[in-house]
Amino acid sequence: MTMLVWVGVAVLGGVGALGRWILDGLVSARWGREFPLGTLAVNLTGAFTLGLLVGAGVQGHVLLLVGVAALGSYTTFSTWMFESHRLGEDGERRLAAANLAVSLAAGLLTALAGWLIGEAW
Amino acid sequence: MNADCLKLTIYFGERDRAEGRFLADAMLDRYERHGLATSVLLRGIEGFGAKHRLKTQRLLTLSEDLPMVSVAVDTRQRIDQLLPEVTALMGDGLITLERATLVAGELDEIAPPEELAEATKLTVYLGRNERTDGQPTFLAVVDLLHRHGVAGATVLLGVDGTAHGVRERARFFGGNAKVPLMIISVGAGETIAHTLPELGALLERPLVTLERIRVCKRDGRRLADPHPLPTGDLGGLGIWHKLMIYAGEEAEHHGHPLYLQLIRRLREAGAAGATSLRGIWGYHGDHPPHGDRLLALRRKVPVLTVVVDRPDRIHRWYEIVDQLTDETGLVTSELVPAFRATGPDLLEGGLHLSNP
Repeated sequence: MTMLVWVGVAVLGGVGALGRWILDGLVSARWGREFPLGTLAVNLTGAFTLGLLVGAGVQGHVLLLVGVAALGSYTTFSTWMFESHRLGEDGERRLAAANLAVSLAAGLLTALAGWLIGEAW
Repeated sequence: MNADCLKLTIYFGERDRAEGRFLADAMLDRYERHGLATSVLLRGIEGFGAKHRLKTQRLLTLSEDLPMVSVAVDTRQRIDQLLPEVTALMGDGLITLERATLVAGELDEIAPPEELAEATKLTVYLGRNERTDGQPTFLAVVDLLHRHGVAGATVLLGVDGTAHGVRERARFFGGNAKVPLMIISVGAGETIAHTLPELGALLERPLVTLERIRVCKRDGRRLADPHPLPTGDLGGLGIWHKLMIYAGEEAEHHGHPLYLQLIRRLREAGAAGATSLRGIWGYHGDHPPHGDRLLALRRKVPVLTVVVDRPDRIHRWYEIVDQLTDETGLVTSELVPAFRATGPDLLEGGLHLSNP
């Protein structure tokens, strides 16, 4: 069983990373001119899904596999920080601040929304 | 010195492939095999091409496929031999040929050709870690150019290339001392000529090119309009036009970075392509040489933006450039005698040199 969980974490981690790469790439190529919308999109959808899982009372191995492995590699803190720093480097202070504030506020709200929906289910 | 040389410039994408590997590698292997006197492979920071797909290093996911520019200079004969191989390798992208004077060896006795009297672009090719009197040679060269009143200079770091026919490629581990970098400078022909003897003394094995250009703007001031060029020569061969915009990375227009605005506006207006390259050191106009400082958020390095298109279209792009560089920036105009753009359902131009 433990071995299976290890393999599951590795595989779902890979799936999460692929999902992020695809969604971020699509959104960035289409709308990501000034603002890192691709990263925002993966972080918000990830926060929503994790809220949904926890709200629905998912526990144990499933939470580990989906919450930690898949969503852990799907969402990204480092890219959020990196792209905010890049905006600062470009002198786009407002956009940098907006990227930090919007991700934080909208992230909390989408996680909460996911949690409420999960709980009501 | 050889006044009959050609500069081959190729604009493509970092992830473009040929022969089952990266196009950049395949291309530089050809340059090595032909023993090119000088070539430098540069990675851009922002740009677009015929497909109008934006490439940028600002977003992590998009920064795995940045614009690449390779510049190679050698005799007309050697470049002519190389060309069929290069065009066979190319997928989507742009190839241009320009006439240049290549000086390898002694710089002391060079009198620049008369045609260089108007304004001249001097490009110096040297190793990344070449040193003179204990300091990096590129710093000494930029200081020299600045001291002599040359209008601007930008140091661009290569990631691969050849020098005097020998391949020098950057590796992740290693000193990379000989990997080529290029210093592009622009100034009055006479001023540039005065710098040459001292420049020769700074360089171990001098390798420089001289090209004829026009300075259109300096520090936001209009000096001359771009050359009025016909779209073809008497023999019916196409003539093309190149604008280069030199500004600091910190330069802004209405509160936004200048180079980003340039790329954005040109892309929206439908230009054939544009590429921004970030230098590591340099200056333009009346500013002292500058580069990054420790612990500063804003970068202070020079950024160089290139646009090549048909002369009738360049006039439209120049209006955009002129608007955006109302306060700062050095803008130059050059004639490009051969241009070949390929893209999806697109083949424009050819590689026979026109004679304007």
